[in-house]
Amino acid sequence: MITRSILLFLLVVALSVSRAAAEPGVSDTEIVIGGSNSFSGPLAYTGEQITKFGVDLYLRVVNDAGGIHGRKVRTIYYDDGYRPQDSVANTKKLVEQDGVFAIIIPQGSPPVVATLEYLEEHKVPMLFPYQSSPVTRARRYVFQGMTLSDRSSRMMIDYLAGPRKYKKFAALYQDDEYGKSFLAAFEKDLGRFGLKLTAAESVKRGVTDVSAQIAKLHAARPEVTFLVLVPGPAAQALRERQKIGWTDTLMVSTGPLTDEKYLALATDAANGVEGLSLWPDPATSDLQGVKLYRAYMVKYFPKNEPNRYSLAGYFAGMLFTEAAMRAGRNLTREALITALESIKGFESGILPPLTIGRDHETQKQGFWVRVEKGRFTPLTDWLKSE
Amino acid sequence: MGEGAPLTTAALAHVVVSGLATGSIYALMALSLVIIYNATRTLNFAQGEMLMISTFVGWTALQLLRAPLLVALLVAVGAAALLAWVLERTIIRHAISATHFDVLIITLGLSLMLRSAAGLLWTHDEFPFPSFFGSRPLGVGAARVAPASLGIIGASLALMLALGALFRWTRLGRAMRAVAQNQRAARLMGISVERVYSASWILAAAVGAVAGVLIAPVVFLSSQMGLVAINGFTAAVLGGFGSMPGAVVGGMVLGVLENLAPLYLPASIKHSVPFLVMITILIVRPGGLFGRVATRKV
Amino acid sequence: MRAAALGSGAVVVLGWPWAAPRYFVFLASLIAINAIVAIGLNLLTGYTNQLSFGHAGFLAIGAYAAAILTIRAPLVPLPVTLLAAGLVTAAVGLALGVPCLRLEGLYLAMATLAFGFVVVEAILNLDWLTRGNDGLRVPAARIGPWALTTDTSRYYVVVTVAALLILAARNITRTRTGRALLAVRESEIAAQASGVHLAAYKTLAFVVSAFYTGVAGGLFALVVGFLSPDSFDVFLSVDFVAMIIVGGLGSILGSVMGAAVITTLNDSLAGFQSYRPLVFGAILIVSMLFMPGGIASALHKIQPRQGDRA
Repeated sequence: MITRSILLFLLVVALSVSRAAAEPGVSDTEIVIGGSNSFSGPLAYTGEQITKFGVDLYLRVVNDAGGIHGRKVRTIYYDDGYRPQDSVANTKKLVEQDGVFAIIIPQGSPPVVATLEYLEEHKVPMLFPYQSSPVTRARRYVFQGMTLSDRSSRMMIDYLAGPRKYKKFAALYQDDEYGKSFLAAFEKDLGRFGLKLTAAESVKRGVTDVSAQIAKLHAARPEVTFLVLVPGPAAQALRERQKIGWTDTLMVSTGPLTDEKYLALATDAANGVEGLSLWPDPATSDLQGVKLYRAYMVKYFPKNEPNRYSLAGYFAGMLFTEAAMRAGRNLTREALITALESIKGFESGILPPLTIGRDHETQKQGFWVRVEKGRFTPLTDWLKSE
Repeated sequence: MGEGAPLTTAALAHVVVSGLATGSIYALMALSLVIIYNATRTLNFAQGEMLMISTFVGWTALQLLRAPLLVALLVAVGAAALLAWVLERTIIRHAISATHFDVLIITLGLSLMLRSAAGLLWTHDEFPFPSFFGSRPLGVGAARVAPASLGIIGASLALMLALGALFRWTRLGRAMRAVAQNQRAARLMGISVERVYSASWILAAAVGAVAGVLIAPVVFLSSQMGLVAINGFTAAVLGGFGSMPGAVVGGMVLGVLENLAPLYLPASIKHSVPFLVMITILIVRPGGLFGRVATRKV
Repeated sequence: MRAAALGSGAVVVLGWPWAAPRYFVFLASLIAINAIVAIGLNLLTGYTNQLSFGHAGFLAIGAYAAAILTIRAPLVPLPVTLLAAGLVTAAVGLALGVPCLRLEGLYLAMATLAFGFVVVEAILNLDWLTRGNDGLRVPAARIGPWALTTDTSRYYVVVTVAALLILAARNITRTRTGRALLAVRESEIAAQASGVHLAAYKTLAFVVSAFYTGVAGGLFALVVGFLSPDSFDVFLSVDFVAMIIVGGLGSILGSVMGAAVITTLNDSLAGFQSYRPLVFGAILIVSMLFMPGGIASALHKIQPRQGDRA
């Protein structure tokens, strides 16, 4: 019995000998990147879209054209179901077992923030996390994805309190990191105009009924009501306010929410709703890059409708490829970071010319839209958040 | 930020009716859980997911066949009955001799599989679902009430009455009650316990399908829709697990509580209130509002 | 025979970090943490038949208690921190267990479910202490002059604590207390008739169960390094229940094996992405169909029983 266990022990030792690579995730023939994401749980749809139909869509095109300096790009994703401890485990696995070169587009503040220290310690780049909380800012190895909530808020408040001259604001926000970071940003930005939030009501994720919150907000009579929610509750809120006949407030959706999803769910209750849009309309935009995105989607994943989530992932894939190309054949993590920082005026054909620089923020802009006849109609050009 | 002006009576009435409607949804879920529990003494973790899958099947009928909503409802109920029959015969039946804990884990496994399967078949996206009821608010006194709210409340009450009639006046219903009271005695009386198990699963699933078609317009159709079963479980316990009127009252109370709490309580505790109230009620009445703590014979 | 099994087991456990790749040392720590929770939950459910769907709440209390102590009082030695985490959680267990004495079966399950939700809400609201939604980063703990910054060092701490708690659990179940607890499970009425003070033992089970889970929570904070309310949802509580049922109720070895199986399964299926719950669910179903009563039950059928049961 003891002999057997010693033999088993030695076998495990033998099996665990790993080959060291020159730069993790980079071999002669391929680059391996990956990330922990939601493939189950509340954000499973988004998770699948930004990875399989987003990053991977762009990389299919790249690989079909021969790869990056002769190396094909392979992706590995693990499901964390939005659980931070699973995200930690998955990320460790990706770095220590799979030896990925970089982490790409992980989703959600809690799962992302849980891994920040670890990735920094191991000098692994985290590219374009799909979340809006500013807590990921100012880190050498992290490059932001989505426009962060404080920038979004600044653009929204500057526009609404400035040229639109609104004074009474309220917010319906989700009771989590996403909602609270926007709430804090709103308070701060309104303060610059000498204003305060008249009312704020929180909504639990996955709730069925928002009638109480809408009733309270209605009683406060705000001129503008911010919606900091995910599409489901946002659509419910819009329907609810339609039901009670609350017409004298402007409903405004935050960047992550300004999305065709809640339009489809709210149907006619969405008309007249305005918001900050972070992306051009993925289904109808004439921009060169967006048309290409649609063409590739039809070619590789014909059954998948174009949407903002996969567009965001596609853009992330594009940025990674651009940086890796610039870094050259001698691809290291440091070279990638330098290459990303050096991006100036990059024409994606999707977003305005992109300059990254030391702040590592890849998206800093949005434009104002209003919902008319079930689609977002632009009201302004790209707004500045500096 | 300042506190808003006090609510008008009309607004309050609207919120309460909305809460009753949500509560009716919980009540329907609770009824499904109680039907199976009464007959088989097992908690079906997969009840919500079965509801979700049948609603998706009904939705597919809507999309592919362009069928009217009533047909979709019948398709959903049919799908639910079929799914329940298959699951009960192939999986649950084999575990009949196992402990109730074992069956609990089996239904847990089923819920995970069904949720994942829904995502694979229809994606995890959210979809709008048409409603039987119009959207123009009705005036009830000074209050504006959504037809959907009244419709859901009415449908739930109707269903509860129908189930009550089923249990009181049909042979199947009496057989189910007999098995619920004493399985061995029922078998000795010639009742096929296996048939009753199947019937309970099918009936519960059918009720769930009706619930699903009623709630999908409100909460939107998605693979996550089944999680409302947790509220159903809460409602059933609150009302006294095993009692059907209890399930309905429990659901209504829960729905109204959930809606009143945000109105009058600070944000920090409003989400906990339904649970705190429930724990308090259970401590005072360990059998729920209508339940009786069974006296056990030595 | 027993000694040889224990001996080789000890060799594997102690030598694991030398044999296994780093990630599997981390995974082994997670298994040990879950095993402690499983044993605690088993003492409650497997022995006194009180089903709990709220153990993620106890885990959260222990984790945050340990984390806050580590942050605010870094000079407190780690063993004391873990003990404190356990005691705080035990106190909460007492506060919950006493009012719930009259509840049974599904009613108790529901009360514990509600408890789990309330704990998470409390964590969110006490954000001056817990940092709420932002999440709490746990600094590396120290034992004397050594900072526990590697997976291996943390692994040894975890398995040492786990070993101690497993031994304690075996002792509890072997003594009169343990037999009293088992008697309660078999039949509350008979137990009472035999002179077992029901309320005392049921409460004791609650408190001990909470203590174990609280200590596990402290270890969780140590190993994972980051706490957030999203970590402790009702699905985690259900996972723990799955561990003890798959492992076998009323068996300490079963709890450990159940924890090992569920944790490893969850981990190895992460690559299945959208198929993960599908495969996991299927395995759960198949396991219960082929091993009714759990792994421990199945093992007892293979090996003839030796003396009293564990």
